[in-house]
Amino acid sequence: MTVEQTRGASESYELNELMIIEAARHIRNGDVVMVGTGLPMVATTFAMKTHAPELVAVIESGPIDPIILQTPISVSDPRVMHKAARLGSLREVLGCVLQRGLVDIGFIGGAQIDQYGNINSTVIGEYRSPKVRLPGSGGANDIACHARRLLVVVSHEKRRFPLKCDYITSPGYLNGPGARQKAGLGGSAPTITVVTNLGVMEADAKTGLFCVTKLMPGVNLETVYSNMAFRPGVSSSVVEVTSPTEREIKTLREEVDPDGIYVKRGKTN
Amino acid sequence: MISKVMGLKEAVSRFVFNGAVVGLGGQNIGRCAMAAVHEIIRQEKRDLTLVGCNLSISMDLLVGADLVRRCEGGSGNLERFGSTFCWRRKVQSGEVEMEDFSHLGMVSRFLAGEMGLPFMPIKSLLGSDILVHSAPSTVKKFETIDNPWNPGEAVVLLPALNPDVSIVHVQKSDSMGNMIIEGFTTHEPEMVRASKHTIVTCEEIIDTGQIRSDPERTTLPHLYVSAVVHQPWGAHPTSTYRYYDYDADHLRFYQGCARAGGGQFKDYLDKFVYGCESYQDYLEKVGGKERLWQLEEAMKNLCGIKKENS
Repeated sequence: MTVEQTRGASESYELNELMIIEAARHIRNGDVVMVGTGLPMVATTFAMKTHAPELVAVIESGPIDPIILQTPISVSDPRVMHKAARLGSLREVLGCVLQRGLVDIGFIGGAQIDQYGNINSTVIGEYRSPKVRLPGSGGANDIACHARRLLVVVSHEKRRFPLKCDYITSPGYLNGPGARQKAGLGGSAPTITVVTNLGVMEADAKTGLFCVTKLMPGVNLETVYSNMAFRPGVSSSVVEVTSPTEREIKTLREEVDPDGIYVKRGKTN
Repeated sequence: MISKVMGLKEAVSRFVFNGAVVGLGGQNIGRCAMAAVHEIIRQEKRDLTLVGCNLSISMDLLVGADLVRRCEGGSGNLERFGSTFCWRRKVQSGEVEMEDFSHLGMVSRFLAGEMGLPFMPIKSLLGSDILVHSAPSTVKKFETIDNPWNPGEAVVLLPALNPDVSIVHVQKSDSMGNMIIEGFTTHEPEMVRASKHTIVTCEEIIDTGQIRSDPERTTLPHLYVSAVVHQPWGAHPTSTYRYYDYDADHLRFYQGCARAGGGQFKDYLDKFVYGCESYQDYLEKVGGKERLWQLEEAMKNLCGIKKENS
């Protein structure tokens, strides 16, 4: 427990809120962070206002290093541009920062995440006649190929964690250790961290597979397993996700998401 | 000095043709060229191929109006407001083809196009299904080569993309077509420079003297522009940085119609596009001066942003 915890652990909070706060904890101060829309934007805004004020946000529409006050609703929301160091182009951000190798941590998301950390945000079913057409890659494929660390923040549902994605939009470890290199993806493979409302799973290039490293307060391993089609390993030192402090909850509720747009309160799942 | 200023009717009539490859400016809820899209729909330009990075409400409206054969882009999405529902429906049914790239992939294609090159290397896409699957009418989506200076290192080559006509909505342009884009530029510089023609709709027409006295501020010079149309609020319901915020109410309303499809979507088109002689009629229908003033104020209040010269 940190000193802050002993002083003021929050009495009441929801797992959805702790999920955002836990995700933010994985951003280190000074990180160059590639941010997309939705929960990543909330987590990054929260991190900027708490332990990582020097983080450098880069947003694919063109803003480099903005000072985000109100959580933007989109990568093209005027709010992402506030006091940026530079308002550039897509090429400047996705090419000159991301592909160039300068992004420390990138958020990606999708409808499916499989056992090797591959992510699908393109189609459920066949490509040419899909059951469901999803948005597509956006910048996600680029982030998965070039960021040093990948961070995924999603709700924990069984259909989200299949054995194998219907379509690989964003490559994790493809089908095992060494597969990325074989496919031609240079550099060292990223670590992949998945934060959900049930816990945290991490994967690295050595094994190419996920391992549960943390569980949300009150959640056990069986609950995690029953909401996935594959069984990740378990870290030898599984810990409980640290409860948020009162100050953290206040920051989240009053500054980061005051209108409750992103963090649906009154729902624990 | 040649003036390229003209009305939107003439610009669309002259530079958008059936079967054209049309580059769409804007991204999600930012600076989509909505006024131009409304006019394209009224003139029923059909069999279009729409290209861009994030394809948003401007794409969805054209798809919903049955004028689109194929899309090439990185995503179809209105983020917080949901998917692009007309597009989703028609891609699922096979009526519209979608050829997927990543956003860096699309930018790289425009980059090749703007540099007068046949293709552009990229290090994304490897290992993903973006290189495994393609749309039915695609002839050759990509090539993978060995880096000639580092044999064994795979590099993907993507074909250049030179749209027949691109449409962008910008803050300021002079009558020659020298334009100033304020805020982020997304994929527009590359796309406009790669295009054979570009229709620019703008919030303000400024004096060429102003451009020439401060030419570092010119985002794109007149060489690439075929038509300049003065169309304030031309991006509504998306935002235009420093001028007005996005209109969440109208976006939600549009999304409801798009998601429902059928008669409800037809009613939307009839009221807001076909039933409007000009974009001014549309602006009246979405709330007129009162609503527009609210969006303008919202932008002004946004972190103390002030419109230049206001």
